[in-house]
Amino acid sequence: MLWLNPSALFALAAVAAPIVIHILIQRRAERFPFPTLRFLQPTRLAAIRRHLLEDLPLLAIRISLVAAAVAALAGPLLLTSTRRQLWDRRTVRAIVTETGGSWAVGPEQAPPLRQETFAAAILADGIRRAILWLDTAPPARREIVIASAFPIGSITDADITAVPAGIGLRFERTGSLPSTRTVAIGRLLTPDGVRRREVTLTGVQTASRDVAAREPVSWPIDVVSSEAGRPGIDAAIAAVLSQHVWAAAPDRRARVVLVPPPTSGVVQAFTAAVVSGLADAAPIIQPWMADAVARIARDPDLRAAAVRVADGLADARFAAAPWQPLACAADGRPLAVAAGSARGVVVASSAPASDVATPVLLRSIADAIADVPDLQRAEVVPIADAALQRWSRPPLPVTAPAIEMIDRDDRRWLWAAVLCLLALESWVRRARSAQASQERETEQARVA
Amino acid sequence: MSGLHRSPFHGYSAEFSQYRHYRPGDDLKYVDWKLVARTDRVYTKQFRETTNMASAIVLDTSGSMDFPGPPVTKFRYAVIAAAALAHLISGQGDAVGLLAGERVLTPRAGRQHLRALLAGLSSLTAAGGWSAAVNVRRASERLKRRGLLLVLSDFYDDEEQTLVELRRAARMGHEVVLFQILSRDEIELPYRRDLEFADLESGRTLAINAGLARHQYTDAMAAFLERWHSRAGAEGFQYSLIVTDTPPERALRNFLLARRR
Repeated sequence: MLWLNPSALFALAAVAAPIVIHILIQRRAERFPFPTLRFLQPTRLAAIRRHLLEDLPLLAIRISLVAAAVAALAGPLLLTSTRRQLWDRRTVRAIVTETGGSWAVGPEQAPPLRQETFAAAILADGIRRAILWLDTAPPARREIVIASAFPIGSITDADITAVPAGIGLRFERTGSLPSTRTVAIGRLLTPDGVRRREVTLTGVQTASRDVAAREPVSWPIDVVSSEAGRPGIDAAIAAVLSQHVWAAAPDRRARVVLVPPPTSGVVQAFTAAVVSGLADAAPIIQPWMADAVARIARDPDLRAAAVRVADGLADARFAAAPWQPLACAADGRPLAVAAGSARGVVVASSAPASDVATPVLLRSIADAIADVPDLQRAEVVPIADAALQRWSRPPLPVTAPAIEMIDRDDRRWLWAAVLCLLALESWVRRARSAQASQERETEQARVA
Repeated sequence: MSGLHRSPFHGYSAEFSQYRHYRPGDDLKYVDWKLVARTDRVYTKQFRETTNMASAIVLDTSGSMDFPGPPVTKFRYAVIAAAALAHLISGQGDAVGLLAGERVLTPRAGRQHLRALLAGLSSLTAAGGWSAAVNVRRASERLKRRGLLLVLSDFYDDEEQTLVELRRAARMGHEVVLFQILSRDEIELPYRRDLEFADLESGRTLAINAGLARHQYTDAMAAFLERWHSRAGAEGFQYSLIVTDTPPERALRNFLLARRR
């Protein structure tokens, strides 16, 4: 048994009220003028001795009445098999369609207890609204019917995972796929600023359009170099921007330290800036850093440019952890190595600032840490039937109904019992009163 | 009904009353010589003297007489009985007086006095306390010569004190007649419920279950009535227990018939 309003059960303390009333309210002995008290001996009053016993049925009725009223207020719900079968026989259905779309239940299906259609431009939004609506539905099998042409990317695994397990999922393919599709795929860093790129796919053709975004360019790579190499670095950055690179997320940054070649001997003395730039190098633990380093190492342009540089990094420290080689110079030593840090990827390079390898390295790093759009999601092709079947599932029977959504409980029976007990209590009380008055009249008649 | 009461005076007139042993000093002409011849004992004949008699009605006006409530209380019953007795006595030409609470009427004869007495009776109410002993004493003292003392009461007062005064009145030569007037309910206590009994005179209360107290009460009441009956008989008083559910005329008839015997 469930109680829809269990806090009302605290009112069960009220059953003490009839008991207290029966104990406290004793029938007062009627005043009776009499010639003399000299022959009367004190006795116990019958009211004190027998009152509770005499009124036990009435007391029981009153206690039952209060208890039934309290139980009715608490909203009892008996979870019988019949009730569960009734719940399982009915269905609450939410239909999710794309804006402008529609879907109708076939005549062969029984009408649901409730049905609501949610049209949304993005099916995932409609599914979320449908879940919220189903949470407010009375106990029944819950089902979401998604009606769409299901272009690829319209529903993902994440959208399906967000649907609670008890809710059934049904996919109805309706309508046709759009002939063209335009999607925003990312931001580009250009010499003119940030531009948003939209790609329109029409059949097998693809067209792109860049739209200027009113936001400053946030160059994601810090370069540590000598003062002499600064103009070369600026030129390299300008060259990279002129080729348009994808913008990185704000928390994804890199630092390139241009290590000057050794002046004499094997032991290399670094400037303070270089030492500071390399100081926080640490093993790579962030996945995005590892992905970026792998992408840089796979860049063929970088490898081609690297072999044209004569000298690689001579310092032995770059040959050991945490440094990982990215490309090798002509002498076989690494031209550039990478490590992790708290602030992003750290890259040490022996390429001079004016060498072509430097802008190639910067472009490779920028592309590696940026979000590269996945155009496959934007393609105008339907989600495979196999995927839809894998996502489909029947609605599960009601196991734990939401108490606040119970549409019909058992309190009506208790209220009926309360009314019956009330009538019974009135009848018993009146019968007692009539009996008492009859006795009184009999005595008065005898006295008269 | 005239002539149903006898004079308390035993004189020597025409109507023979009884024999008694001769006492020194008796007039020898009343000695029944024939009886002396038959029995060898000396008896003197006594004769009843028919004279005008003075009577005093003593009526209990205490609160205890105001029971069991309208229409006929003990007090109302006693007033009716007293009026009837006064009417009888006055109708014989005898003097009758009344002592009821504060109302005192000296014994006199005549219809005018009877009307005044009846008017006085009708204006009486039963309330408060009342001492039988005091009123019996006052009544006996108001009778200038030996007379008839009629006391109508429930006799719930101090029994001993009342008896002393009644005995004293008898010694003064008065004939004492007691009417103990009670209701059936106070004899049998026919109640079963819880009742808060309130004393009609003192106002004192006692809450009891009447059904539980009934047995002891009826025993005590029977003992009380038996005590009065036996003491009255022992003292030579004429005693009548009158229950108010008996019609007054029947009660008086029984009394008068008993008195004639």
